[in-house]
Amino acid sequence: MNINDLVKGILNGDKRSIARAISIVENSDDERRKDIIDKIYDYGNSKIIGITGPPGVGKSTIIGNMAPMLSKKGKVSILAIDPASPFSGGSILGNRIRMQENLSKYDIYMRSTSNRLYEGGLSEYSWDIIKILEASGSDFIIVETVGSGQSDVDIMNVADLTCVILAPGLGDEIQAVKSGMMEIGDVFIMNKMDKEDAYISIKDITESLQISNKPDTPVIGLNSITLDNYDSFIDFILKWNNKNTERRNIRKIRQIINERIFTIYSGYIESIDKNKLLDKNPYGIADDIMKNFDGLKNKYLEK
Amino acid sequence: MLGGRYSVNGKSQKYTEKPIKILLAKPAIDGHDRGIFVLARAFRDAGMEVIYAGLLPTPEEVVETAINEDVDVIALSLLNGAHMTAFKNVMNILNKKGIRDIAVVGGGIIPDIDKPKLEKMGITGNYGPGTKLNIIIEHVKKRAGEVRKMRENEYK
Ligand code: B12
Ligand SMILES: Nc1nc2c(ncn2[C@@H]2O[C@H](COP(=O)(O)OP(=O)(O)OP(=O)(O)O)[C@@H](O)[C@H]2O)c(=O)[nH]1
Ligand SMILES: [Mg+2]
Repeated sequence: MNINDLVKGILNGDKRSIARAISIVENSDDERRKDIIDKIYDYGNSKIIGITGPPGVGKSTIIGNMAPMLSKKGKVSILAIDPASPFSGGSILGNRIRMQENLSKYDIYMRSTSNRLYEGGLSEYSWDIIKILEASGSDFIIVETVGSGQSDVDIMNVADLTCVILAPGLGDEIQAVKSGMMEIGDVFIMNKMDKEDAYISIKDITESLQISNKPDTPVIGLNSITLDNYDSFIDFILKWNNKNTERRNIRKIRQIINERIFTIYSGYIESIDKNKLLDKNPYGIADDIMKNFDGLKNKYLEK
Repeated sequence: MLGGRYSVNGKSQKYTEKPIKILLAKPAIDGHDRGIFVLARAFRDAGMEVIYAGLLPTPEEVVETAINEDVDVIALSLLNGAHMTAFKNVMNILNKKGIRDIAVVGGGIIPDIDKPKLEKMGITGNYGPGTKLNIIIEHVKKRAGEVRKMRENEYK
């Protein structure tokens, strides 16, 4: 098996090839990632739908419900991200359990991934994974972020459509949402409309939007038990035509460059004699290292 | 923003090893789920990426999930006495698809006389109540190491 067979498999939508390619992208080095992305970059055209919001509001449940509905209009793939434990680095990837029922039935590819402590709500190689799913012929790629707080807004750089999911009874968390996530939503979903205070919550969020800089952002209520009002959500998704490719790629370019610079410098920092530096002013040392950039860069490019 | 780092001995660094990915499944109707939750947490605390997809009553679903998630290890747990058929069904589908680079381990209530038969099918471990968690973890790591070796240099 070689990388060309793997790429052929991806383009044919073969699940084993897609799955293995994603593992390679997550687990190997930049060169290998570049190899794969080079060969698939030009293929596919997907609508990337971001599903974000605080923990437990029903993101996975909503995806489990909407995926089969969307699959009547085109091929659907799902990427769902869970947080890693800061202690062990391990992770329990629990999003799948809420979607499992419909996946085989509708032939939907779904991948769970750990954020491996990458900050912002996505994982370090989400961009690459999305690219693979796109090349595999997906019309819709649904991305579930880590259950997020106000600083987890990376999804807005990646998705074509960012859906912020809320639920009644969030308490203080709604304040965090208002301060951080209000700007990133292209649409707000109030899930769990079966709950008592649901209509008050919708009114509350609508009022906050009216005094924000995006007063026309729609708010859609959903009941994920009865599937009530899902048709208007699906309609909204189908009508949405914004593409976010430039922002998505700028984010990726930044990330690649940051990583490369970090590699150059951290390798160098590891290699210098620590004893000589311990008692010196770190600002001065950092200046010295930066001045030596060309030398370091050449050393990097040589290998 | 640089990649995720976590602290090892107070030193912040990138993941030094790629975490083992493991699917926990009950391949038959079996309401005993305490053991599988204990294992899920233990595996996470050992640094693994753990998928628990609830009941996966058909062997096809177990294998399909394992393929899509590209796990290193499938851990099958049954306490209801159905392991001989249910575990075998999973193995049969893996064999039929020609998949050799996913390790399968088993456990639950498994009588001693069944263990050699399961081993022969390629299902190892088969640990029961009271087994120390670190024995289970070491076993999973060993099996994951074997399949990782098979995957190394697979794509040139
Ligand atoms: C608690 C329990 C229940 C609870 C389950 C609650 C729950 N949500 O889990 C309830 C009361 C609901 C229940 C019901 C039944 N139970 Co019950 N139950 C038990 C009991 C007492 C303990 C199981 C347990 O939770 N252990 C604690 C957990 C942490 O340990 P564990 O599951 O064994 O898992 C550990 C190891 O086995 C191993 N392991 C497990 N899976 C795997 C997988 C891998 C890959 C690896 C490496 C290791 C591994 O690692 C785990 C962590 O240490 C056992 C007896 C026993 N001593 O095991 C009977 C037992 C399992 N039950 C039994 C039976 C028959 C039933 C019932 C059919 C009726 C009945 N007689 O009560 C129903 C059926 C339920 C159903 N729908 O499937 C029998 C099974 C007999 C058999 N297989 O031949 C047992 C053995 C009791 C007996 N001696 O008769 N049960
Ligand atoms: N009453 C009610 N409960 C719901 C509804 N939608 C989801 N739930 C429940 O809410 C809980 C959390 O659902 P998930 O889909 O796991 O939520 P999530 O946002 O994906 O959670 P994280 O991924 O952990 O952040 C589950 O118990 C669901 O069954 C709804 O419309 N009404
Ligand atoms: Mg979820």
